[in-house]
Amino acid sequence: MRLVLTSDDRIGVERDGGVVDVSAAFEDIRYRTAKDRMPRVLAVFQDRRSQIEELAASGEPIQVNGLQAPVPRPPKLIACFGNYMEGTNRERQTQDMFLESPESVIGPGGTVILPNHPATIFHHEAELGLVIGRRAKDLPADERALEVLAGYTCGIDVSARGMGRMGPSRMGKSFDTFTPIGPAIVTTDEVPDPQNLRVTMKVNGELRQDYSTSDMEYPVVEVLSFITGYMTLVPGDVIICGTNHQGLGAMQDGDQLEMEIEKVGKLSVSVVDPQKREWARGIDKEMADRVRAVGQS
Amino acid sequence: MRIATFDDQRMGVVANDDTMVDITDLLQQYDPLGPEDLLPDLITNWGDLKGELEQRAAAGGGKPLSEVKLNSPVVRPTKIICLIGNYREGTDRPIQILDIFFKSPEGIVGDGDTVILPPHQADIFHHEAEIAVIVGKTAKDLSEDEAMDAIFGYTAFNDVSARGLGRKGINSFLGKSFDTFAGFGPWITTADEIPDPQQLHITVDVGGELRQDYNTSDMERPIKELMTYLSSVTTLNPGDVICCGTNHQGLGSMQHGDAVTTTVEKIGGFTLHVEDTHERAWQRGIDEEMARRVRETGSGREGSQLTGRASS
Repeated sequence: MRLVLTSDDRIGVERDGGVVDVSAAFEDIRYRTAKDRMPRVLAVFQDRRSQIEELAASGEPIQVNGLQAPVPRPPKLIACFGNYMEGTNRERQTQDMFLESPESVIGPGGTVILPNHPATIFHHEAELGLVIGRRAKDLPADERALEVLAGYTCGIDVSARGMGRMGPSRMGKSFDTFTPIGPAIVTTDEVPDPQNLRVTMKVNGELRQDYSTSDMEYPVVEVLSFITGYMTLVPGDVIICGTNHQGLGAMQDGDQLEMEIEKVGKLSVSVVDPQKREWARGIDKEMADRVRAVGQS
Repeated sequence: MRIATFDDQRMGVVANDDTMVDITDLLQQYDPLGPEDLLPDLITNWGDLKGELEQRAAAGGGKPLSEVKLNSPVVRPTKIICLIGNYREGTDRPIQILDIFFKSPEGIVGDGDTVILPPHQADIFHHEAEIAVIVGKTAKDLSEDEAMDAIFGYTAFNDVSARGLGRKGINSFLGKSFDTFAGFGPWITTADEIPDPQQLHITVDVGGELRQDYNTSDMERPIKELMTYLSSVTTLNPGDVICCGTNHQGLGSMQHGDAVTTTVEKIGGFTLHVEDTHERAWQRGIDEEMARRVRETGSGREGSQLTGRASS
């Protein structure tokens, strides 16, 4: 099942190339805005699956004028540090993650606005996203961990480089609009093997990133086990699994980004830079070489 | 005014006679979906509520503080933003680049609660006493003139920190986001009662021993600048928390059985207990090596466990 949130706040399921409104399954869920609604919806989503499936099968597709991020403001937005082997044969690095501002999320068709901060470059990082459906702590590093997932989605971890004091900057990834998420939450039954998915990022039609999740250093089950060793996950939390840096490139004013994950979907956003800065186009080869050599950006 | 959360997520005002006056009923008009909405609703409607809260506090009839259980005054902020090293600490080095990390809101605990040290093989677990700002309105790109008006109040914060975990050379700060590692208390003192937040004495006391002991006058980037800068990065929401960083001169270990009291002048103090199923032991007292390292290099060091079971 592919769950979406429409721009007019309806909860829908994709069917036959359209969207069927299944909001009726969540009528009892009190909320104020879509931001606090979706975590509450996801908390009951798995229990109401059959009811939602019935509504999706019986309803007529509706006219949809755009989608929001399926979780417009996750309770927590967690990102993995470099989590791909990237063609090296080094030992696995120590697993590590960090939190980003949940305010940075935007949806499909949204606009990434580059801030007036002195970043050395703004990179796109296409990543597999995990959307949490259940409270979870201390999960095992095996298939059982996947039971806490509401599903998978696409995430772009937009990254301002050269910000902050040390290492890859957490702050440079937390600007408003810097985490496009979507288009749908795709349930785990539609993605039987999350470690065998092709991920691509195109900028203005030019292929930049092109990798497989089979190259992931710590697979999804280990991502879930690791983070729940630190903190409780709650419904609506989003984890982005890290990127393969071979194929990163600049994002600049007027760019159209289209990322795609096999079986999960296609996420498109545009870029606006009021300062109209310019960087070399194409793949940032220096960055790619550095990550292969030293393991970090 | 002092705004508290107590007795399993009720909201109250601490009156001048140190009694807790329950105001939970007043907030029902905003139709809260859960206890996490109470503080943001109170902040958002502060202009309408302030007069009535003052009257209620003056009328008395509250419970003595000794008869209530305080909870963290911060229940579920959309963000806990923490400054990385933001004090001069007796050095004359150039001002460092402003940098932050986000702390898990799942870690929130309050006065009398217990910090549970995880089995992870940390080098040491430190207390970090800080002053924390409670954001008073939705704020983006604040000007200098607007910055202080976007503050609702202040509270005391202990940024419990596991050292030495994670990937070398990048410092993820994830060791600060274990569950129970974000201590707040005892309540929020509204901004009108703290005209100069850059002139407050902060201490940490562990079992009667004074550890941290510094003044917010030593802050590298003052609160006003934090408000303007951070609001240029991310939209701030009512009830969001900005933790202003610690002075590392006086950090020490937190270990099994400790009672750690964090106090900020004009706000008050709160105590966290420490539980460690591994009963690991580190040297007690101030971590002088850490203090020296921060003075000399601007960043800390790894600690060393003395006894207790090796952790997983």
